[in-house]
Amino acid sequence: MSKNININVHHLTRVEGHGNIVVNIKDRTIEKCEWQVPEAPRFFEAMVRGRRYDDIQTIVSRICGICSISHSLVATKAVEDALGLKVTEQTDMVRHLMHYSEQLQSHVLHVGYLVAPDLFGEKSVVPLAGKATEAVLKIVKCHRVANQMSALLAGRITHPITLTPGGMTRVPTEEELKNLKATLEDCVPDLVDVCKVVLSVAGNLPNFERETEYVSLKQTNPLYKGTLSEYSFYHGDITSTDCNGSGDMPVDKWESVANEYVVNQSTAKWCKWHRESYFAGALARYKNQSKFLSPLAKQVEKMFGLTPKTYNPFMNNVAQLAEAAHVVEASLEIIDKLLTKGIKPEKVDVALRAGRGYAGIEAPRGILFHAYEFDKNGECTWGNCCIPTNQNHANIQKDFEKLVPQFMDEGEDALRQKMEMLVRAYDPCISCSTHMLNVEFIK
Amino acid sequence: MTFGQVKKTIVVGLGNPIMADEGIGTVLVDELSKLAAAGKLASENIEYYDGGCGGMYLLHTIAERQKAILIDCCLMGTEPGTIRRFTPDDVNSVKKMAHLSLHEVDILKVIELAKQLGQCPDEIVIFGIEPVKIEPQMHLNEPLKSRLGDYITEIRKELEK
Repeated sequence: MSKNININVHHLTRVEGHGNIVVNIKDRTIEKCEWQVPEAPRFFEAMVRGRRYDDIQTIVSRICGICSISHSLVATKAVEDALGLKVTEQTDMVRHLMHYSEQLQSHVLHVGYLVAPDLFGEKSVVPLAGKATEAVLKIVKCHRVANQMSALLAGRITHPITLTPGGMTRVPTEEELKNLKATLEDCVPDLVDVCKVVLSVAGNLPNFERETEYVSLKQTNPLYKGTLSEYSFYHGDITSTDCNGSGDMPVDKWESVANEYVVNQSTAKWCKWHRESYFAGALARYKNQSKFLSPLAKQVEKMFGLTPKTYNPFMNNVAQLAEAAHVVEASLEIIDKLLTKGIKPEKVDVALRAGRGYAGIEAPRGILFHAYEFDKNGECTWGNCCIPTNQNHANIQKDFEKLVPQFMDEGEDALRQKMEMLVRAYDPCISCSTHMLNVEFIK
Repeated sequence: MTFGQVKKTIVVGLGNPIMADEGIGTVLVDELSKLAAAGKLASENIEYYDGGCGGMYLLHTIAERQKAILIDCCLMGTEPGTIRRFTPDDVNSVKKMAHLSLHEVDILKVIELAKQLGQCPDEIVIFGIEPVKIEPQMHLNEPLKSRLGDYITEIRKELEK
């Protein structure tokens, strides 16, 4: 192989923002190895200033087209914390369902549309659809079920319209919940088939390990003790594999966990807690909460040999498959509970007060933090958001620093492919705020 | 989109209203929805849908429809504010993507995937509108703002075909 390698997966546009992979190797010496995010700042925190407390979740839902439910949910929770609002058990359970729908749609999308093409040796899901049509149709079916679930609970697939501080503007009817239950039950065999398809090519996941700190939520809400929702995406304190059972942080201290800082190679902020980087996402949640997985999720765990000692970041996508199975079963459990108790519209009462509120929930790609402050009229005076992608940037960089020397002897193309696959394992949210077309007309 | 029957035609506004002119599709579909709710625009067999920046979800939004009309901000090399009607076959995408994330989406690729899977509507029409600026901002720029009526007239013509 050549002793020199120059990898430059680069995009110049600052409008959309992209991640760049830059590697320069000269005479087998690594001169440069960087994960760069030259994204234009989006100033969402400035946009919410001066807006009413009940506008916030609508505005911030536009931060991301994939995780819009998570952004709306965490913003709503932070507003409720600021205003001292408590929600009913019914609201909490319906929000859980909504959140599970996003985990399912996002995980299936991530594994099926972004990671599977790599494992099958295809450039994207479009050629994969031609090569493995049946497999892609299964993936699409599961994704569609999750989207229908989001549409039912959030009012539409993305950018929810049913959330409001203090409650919900709409809850599903008993009949809709029964239909949803039947649809989810029907989806289980397809989801198992999707796992089998991924398992058949899982040998193509790079053999790479790097132990790091894994940060996620840990359930503290007694309402969910002993239920499948004890594996938390929505409530609890912040924990990590470095906490070893002590030193967990309440979410209102999230700024002391994220410890955001700036670096030269990126316009996006980086984060660190006990070490120089940490991992946020399905693998972190799994490591901190695996004992609470549902029976089907445990089957997936076993199929792939996933364990809490797994340190391969590419296995994040396997952890997502386990979580996809888990949220289906956790959803069925909540639907049964709602049907047993009976579901009905509830009145929302809000008394305004000045104050600051914090919240943290698990977006599909990892723990997500928001904080807002309001004056006595309910107008926002300050906001702060910290997305999982920013929390993972330093970790991607550290993965690169171990991965490049390990695989550099395989040559430039193979190394580039592995580095791109690593980024895709995280699927960073770095170009989500704009999706415009760019075309030339065929004359 | 809900469980059950879907309407034959869907009008999808795409884009992000907190990124200035990038949100033209969502602004227009919001206006069209209001007109339909007021009985000033057909709605019996037509669904008006804010697709936001959902990207790949479009696959499901357009599935099982006979016709999809997509409204989106579009870099076409024309004067800002220009609206053009075209079909996916009329254009080549020149959008540069790193293929590192699902968060970057080329809608034309989603349509290609829908065709591959046999889940594409019989007819897809795209209304592209040339932006002035795409940057964090919660309102449209001129001339797009004052041309909303013209855009609605163009889309109405398509709906009345």
